[in-house]
Amino acid sequence: MKKILAVLLAGMMAVTAFSGCGGGSTESSGSESGGGEGGNTSVEVKDDLVDESVFGDEDNITLKVWAPDKAVALVKQQVEDFKAAYPGKTFTKIEVVAQGEGDAGTQILNDASVAADVFSFASDQLNKLVDAKVIADVAFADYVTEKNAEETVTAGTIKNTLYAYPETNDNGYYLVYDKTVVSDEQAKTLEGVLEGCKAAGRKFIFDCGNGFYSCTFAFTGGVKIDGFEEDGVTQKFTEYKEDEAVATLQAFSKLMHDYKGVFTSLDVAQISSGFSTKTCGAGVDGSWNTKSDQDALGDNFGAAKLPTIKVNGEDKQLISMFGYKYIGVNAASKFPAASQILALYLSGEKCQKQRAEQLGWGPSNKAVQEDPVVKESPVLQAIQQQSQNACVQVNIAATLWSPMGNLGNKLIADQTNPDDAEFFKKLLQQTIENVRDEG
Amino acid sequence: MIKSYKFRRVLANTFIYILLAVLGIIWVSPFAYLLMHSFRAESTINVPYLIPHEWTLQNYIDLFNVGGEGGSAAINFPRWFLNTLVVAIFSCIISTISVLAVSYAFSRLRFGARKKLMNIAMILGMFPGFMTMIAIYYLLKAMGLAQNLVALVICYSCGAGLGFQISKGFFDTIPRALDEAATIDGATKNQIFWKIILPMSKPIVVYTVLTSFIGPWCDFILAKIIMGDKRELYTVAIGLQSMTSAEFINEYYKQFLAGSVLVAIPITLLFLKMQKYYVEGVTAGGVKG
Amino acid sequence: MTFVEYKQLNPFQRFAYNFKKFFKNIPGAVGRFFKGIGKAIVKFFKTIVNGFKNYGTTFAKGDWATKLSYVIFGVGDISKGKIYKGILFFLSEVLYIMYIIFFGWQFISKFGTLGTVETHTVQKGIIKQTVFGDNSMLILLYSVLTIVITIVVFAIYIANIKDAYKHQVMRENGEKPTSFRHDLKDFMDGKYHITLLSFPVLMIGIFNILPLIFMILIAFTNYDKAHMPPGTLFTWVGLDNFTSLFDIVNTPKKAKTFLELTEWTLIWAVVATFTNYILGMIVALMINKKGIKLKALWRTLFVITIAVPQFVSLLLMNQMLQTNGAINVLLTDISHLFGGTERVEIQFLNSSTLMARMTVIIVNIWVGIPYTILSMSGILMNIPEDLYESARIDGATPFKTFTAITLPYMIFVTTPQLITQFVGNINNFNVIYLLTGGGPTTEAYYQAGRTDILVTWLFTLSMTSQDYGLAAAIGILVFIVCATLSLIIYNNSKSMKDEEAFS
Repeated sequence: MKKILAVLLAGMMAVTAFSGCGGGSTESSGSESGGGEGGNTSVEVKDDLVDESVFGDEDNITLKVWAPDKAVALVKQQVEDFKAAYPGKTFTKIEVVAQGEGDAGTQILNDASVAADVFSFASDQLNKLVDAKVIADVAFADYVTEKNAEETVTAGTIKNTLYAYPETNDNGYYLVYDKTVVSDEQAKTLEGVLEGCKAAGRKFIFDCGNGFYSCTFAFTGGVKIDGFEEDGVTQKFTEYKEDEAVATLQAFSKLMHDYKGVFTSLDVAQISSGFSTKTCGAGVDGSWNTKSDQDALGDNFGAAKLPTIKVNGEDKQLISMFGYKYIGVNAASKFPAASQILALYLSGEKCQKQRAEQLGWGPSNKAVQEDPVVKESPVLQAIQQQSQNACVQVNIAATLWSPMGNLGNKLIADQTNPDDAEFFKKLLQQTIENVRDEG
Repeated sequence: MIKSYKFRRVLANTFIYILLAVLGIIWVSPFAYLLMHSFRAESTINVPYLIPHEWTLQNYIDLFNVGGEGGSAAINFPRWFLNTLVVAIFSCIISTISVLAVSYAFSRLRFGARKKLMNIAMILGMFPGFMTMIAIYYLLKAMGLAQNLVALVICYSCGAGLGFQISKGFFDTIPRALDEAATIDGATKNQIFWKIILPMSKPIVVYTVLTSFIGPWCDFILAKIIMGDKRELYTVAIGLQSMTSAEFINEYYKQFLAGSVLVAIPITLLFLKMQKYYVEGVTAGGVKG
Repeated sequence: MTFVEYKQLNPFQRFAYNFKKFFKNIPGAVGRFFKGIGKAIVKFFKTIVNGFKNYGTTFAKGDWATKLSYVIFGVGDISKGKIYKGILFFLSEVLYIMYIIFFGWQFISKFGTLGTVETHTVQKGIIKQTVFGDNSMLILLYSVLTIVITIVVFAIYIANIKDAYKHQVMRENGEKPTSFRHDLKDFMDGKYHITLLSFPVLMIGIFNILPLIFMILIAFTNYDKAHMPPGTLFTWVGLDNFTSLFDIVNTPKKAKTFLELTEWTLIWAVVATFTNYILGMIVALMINKKGIKLKALWRTLFVITIAVPQFVSLLLMNQMLQTNGAINVLLTDISHLFGGTERVEIQFLNSSTLMARMTVIIVNIWVGIPYTILSMSGILMNIPEDLYESARIDGATPFKTFTAITLPYMIFVTTPQLITQFVGNINNFNVIYLLTGGGPTTEAYYQAGRTDILVTWLFTLSMTSQDYGLAAAIGILVFIVCATLSLIIYNNSKSMKDEEAFS
C-alpha cells in the first residue's frame, strides 16, 4: 500500500502541476521590442482618452479593479463610462472589487498574478511595489505630469520614472474640533486647543503610539525624512539641529504632562465616538474618518490644519506625515495596454471631480483643485494647507513606524520628566538608530 | 463536635458559593458587555458608560443588508457565515477521520516505525506556522486551489492527524482483551476498528468533532492569505477581523459586536450541549495522553 | 528509596524528593536524548550502505526481468504475474518523468543559485511591458517539492527492485504471487496501519513537512526587504541570520532583543502555565466539592469563554482595557460611589512594562482557566471513590484527604498536559498579538515591544519589516528548544512508559 500511495502522490503532483502552473513562468519570453531606443513614445491624450490604436492587439478585455469599499459603487459607474468611451473594443468583463488602499500593496506582493490589474493604493507602499517590480511604469507620463499637481507627481516618481497615476492629494491628518469647545482662534495653537478642551472637561485625542501620527513630533523639530540612502532600504534623514529637535520634543512632552487627562493618546477611531459622547473636544484625525466626525458633530464640526506649538517662545507649525493616493497598474497584467488606459481614465479630471463631489476626496488634478466643490470644503482646505507643512509619505522604510510610535509613547508616558533634556536627546538618537536599523 | 463540623461545612460552602458567583460574574461580564453593546444605537466605538442609552436592532440588520441601500460591497455576513459553516463541516469530517485513524493505528496496531512516527508527529506541531503560510499558499496554487474554499478545508484538516494524543490516550484505556477476543472470532483489524472500538468511543469522537469544528471560526491569518481579495469567500473570522481594521472600525464596530454575538451563539449552544462528552473525552484521553 | 519508605514521607518531603529526582534525571535524559539522535543517524547511514550492498547483489542474482526493473519500474512484477502492482510501479515512473520534464526541472536546476535571470521591461508599442525573471521563492519552494517527490520515487524504485527479486525467488520456489483480492484483504488486517496512516501522512507530508523544510531553508537565505521576489532575487547566505542573533558586536540590538525576548518568553510560559494550572485546579475543586449545588451552571459560566472565538474575546478585551474602555469606566463608577471625582484612566496596555505583563497574564488566566476546569473536573470525578472511603474510615480530615489523595492523583495524571500547555504558551501568539500587539513599545529592542514573545516578534519581522530570513532563523531556534524539551519529557513520562498499563 505504501507503494501504491507513493505512486498516487507522484501522479497527483504531476497532474496538478500541469493544470496549475505549467509554463507560468516562461510566458512572454520572446516578446518583440517595438521602440528600439526604449525612450518615451509620446501619445496624444485628449480628455483622459486615447486613440483606440493604443490598445494594440488587445481585445476581449478582462480586467479587475481594486477600489476602497466606499468608492466601489462610483468606480463601477466610471468603468461603465470608460467602456462607452471606447465603442470599438469589446470588454468581456471589468470587475470592481473592494480592497482597502492601505492593504493593496501587501496583497499584490503576496501574489501579483491573482491581484487586480488596476488598483488604488496609498503612497507609502510605492517603493515596496517598485522594488518588487510588480508595478508598471506610467505609459502616459507626460500627460499625467502636466495635469496633476507637481508634488503628487514628484512623490510618484522613483529614479526618474513615474510609476503611478496620482488619484488624490488628501491622505493625511488634520485638526478636527467641536466648535462649541474650541474656537476657531484657539484652533490655531496647540496650547489654545488644549485650553479649550480643558475648560470644557473634554479630551484632545492624538494617537501618540502610532508612528503615522507621532512622527509629527520629530518632524516639527526638524528631523525630517528624506527618502533612502544609496542602498535603497535605509531611511535617510535631513540635516537637523539636535538642540532644536530636543527642545521641540520637550515642549510636546511638557504640554502632555501639563494637560494630563486632556491630552490623551488613543486610536483615531475613538475620536468620532468621543465627539458623539461629548468626551472629546478635539483631535488629530485622518481624512478617511471625516464623514463619521461630521456625523457626530453636525453643525459644530470644525476642521483646520494642525496647530502651532510654542518652542522657546516661538510658534512652530506642526509638520505632519502626508501622503497621496495613486492608481497603479499591475506589471503582471494580461492586458497591460488596456490597464494603462483604464488607469489613465480613472485618475483623470472627470473621475476626480466625481469623487470630490460624491466622496469628498481631495483631488490631485490641478483643474479640479480649483473647482468650487474643493475650494469651499473646509476639510479639503484644511488638508490642502496641511499638505504645505508636511513630509511626503513616500520612500518610507518599513522600520519607520514602530520606533516613531515608541517616541510618541515615551513623550506622553507618566514616568517621563519633560525637563530632562538628556533623556530626550538619547531617545531621539535611539529612535533614529532603530529606524535606520543600525545595530 | 459534630454540630461544629457541620457548621464549618456550611460556612465553607457558603464561602465557596460567594467566590464562585463572583468569579462567574467576572468571567461572563465581558460577554454580557458584548451582548449589550451589540444593541447600542448611539456613538461608534467606546462610550463612557456601561449600559447603552439607546437600544436598536439596526446593527444586526446591517449585517444582513448585503449590497442593499446603505449596505456595503465589502460586508457580506450571511455569505461568510455560510462559507465558514461549509468549511467547518467538511474540515471537521476529514479531521475527525484522520485523527481517529492515526490514534487507532498508534494505540492498537504495532508496527516498525510506530514510536518514531509518534515522536515526529509530536514535534511537527510545534513549529511556528507563519513562515510556512506563504509556502502553503503557493502549494495550493500549484494545485489550482488558491482563493477557493476547498483550500481552506485542506488547510484546516491537513494537520489534524498530528493532534492524536488525546484520542490515542482514550483508545489506550479500552481493554485489549476485547480486541483479542474479536481476533479469535476471526474479525479483521478493520472490523475491530469499526464495530468494536468506534462504538465505545462516543466521547472522544464528539470531542474531536467539536474541537475541529471550532477551528475555522477562529482563524483569520491563514484564511486571509489564501482568500486575498475574494471577499465573498471570506470566513466570519476574517470578515469580523476586517471590520475592526482602520478602514472600517468607525462604521462597523457595533456591527462587529453583533456579528461576534451571532458567531458565539451557535458555538456556545453546541458546546453546552456536548460539554459532557467533551469532559469525558478530554479526561480519559488526558489521563493517559 | 523503596516504595514503603516513600509512603512514610510527609507531603513536603515527598515533593522535595520528586523535585530532586526530576532535576537529577534531566542530565541523564538529555544525554540519552542526544545519544538517541546519534544512534539514529548512525543507523540511517548503515541502512544506506546496506541498501547499496543489496542493490548490487540483487542485480547480480536477478533474471532478465529483475535486471530490467532497474531501468523500467514494474517489469519484474508484471513478468511474474503480479500485474496490478507492476502497472502501478510503471505508472509512477512515467508520472515522475513527466513531472520532472514539465515542472520540476525548471526549478531544481536553479536550486543552487535560486535564480539568475533578473526581471526587466521591454517596450511594446507605447507600453513598457514587464518580463518577469526568476522568482527565487518559487524556485526554492518547488525545488523542495521536487526533492521530496524524488525521495519518494526513489523509495518506490527500491521497493520495485526488492519486489521484483522477491517474486523471482518465489517463482524459483514454485510459489504463486498473491492475488489482488488477497492483498486488499491484507490491507484491512495485517497491514491495516498503512491503510489508516497513508491519508493523514500524505496530507501532513504535503502541507506540514514540505513547508517546514521550505522555511528551514529560508533561514539560510537573504530573503528580506531588499530582496523581495518577484522583482529581485535572493540567494544563499549561510549562517548570517543566526549569527546576527548572537553577534553582540556587529548587531547588538538584534542580539539584545533576542536575548531579552527569550527571557520573557520563558517567564511568560512558566507563569502562564502555572497560574492557569493552579487557579484552574482550585476552581475545579470548588465546583466539584461535595455539597456544592448547581455544578452544571457554574461550569457553564466558565465554558462560554471557550466557545466564543478567541480573537473576538481578545479584541473585545483590548477595547475594554483602553484608557476610555469599559474597565476604566467601571473603575470610575466605583470610585464615584466612594466620592471620587476624577475619571480613572489606568493605562493597562501601553505604559509600564510590569503593568502590561501583568495584564497579559491576567487576561490569559481568563482565557485559559476554563480549559483547565473542564479537564480537571473530569479527572476529579474519576478518582476512585474507595480511596476517599478508606480515608474517611481512617478519620482523615478533609484537608488531609486533599493533600494525600486528591492532589497527588491530579498531579500524576495531568503532568503530560502541563508540558503540552507549556510548549503551547511558548507559541501563544493570539493573547499577546491581539491584546497588546507587543506593546509597551521601547527603543531598546529591534522591531519588538516589552510584551512581545519570540513568536510575535517573528510575526512582526516577517509581516511588517519583511525580514523573512531572520524570522525563519528565530523560528528554527524556538522549534529546537520546544521539540527537545517535549521529546525528552514525553519519552520519560509515566504514561509513555506504562503505555500498556490498561491492556
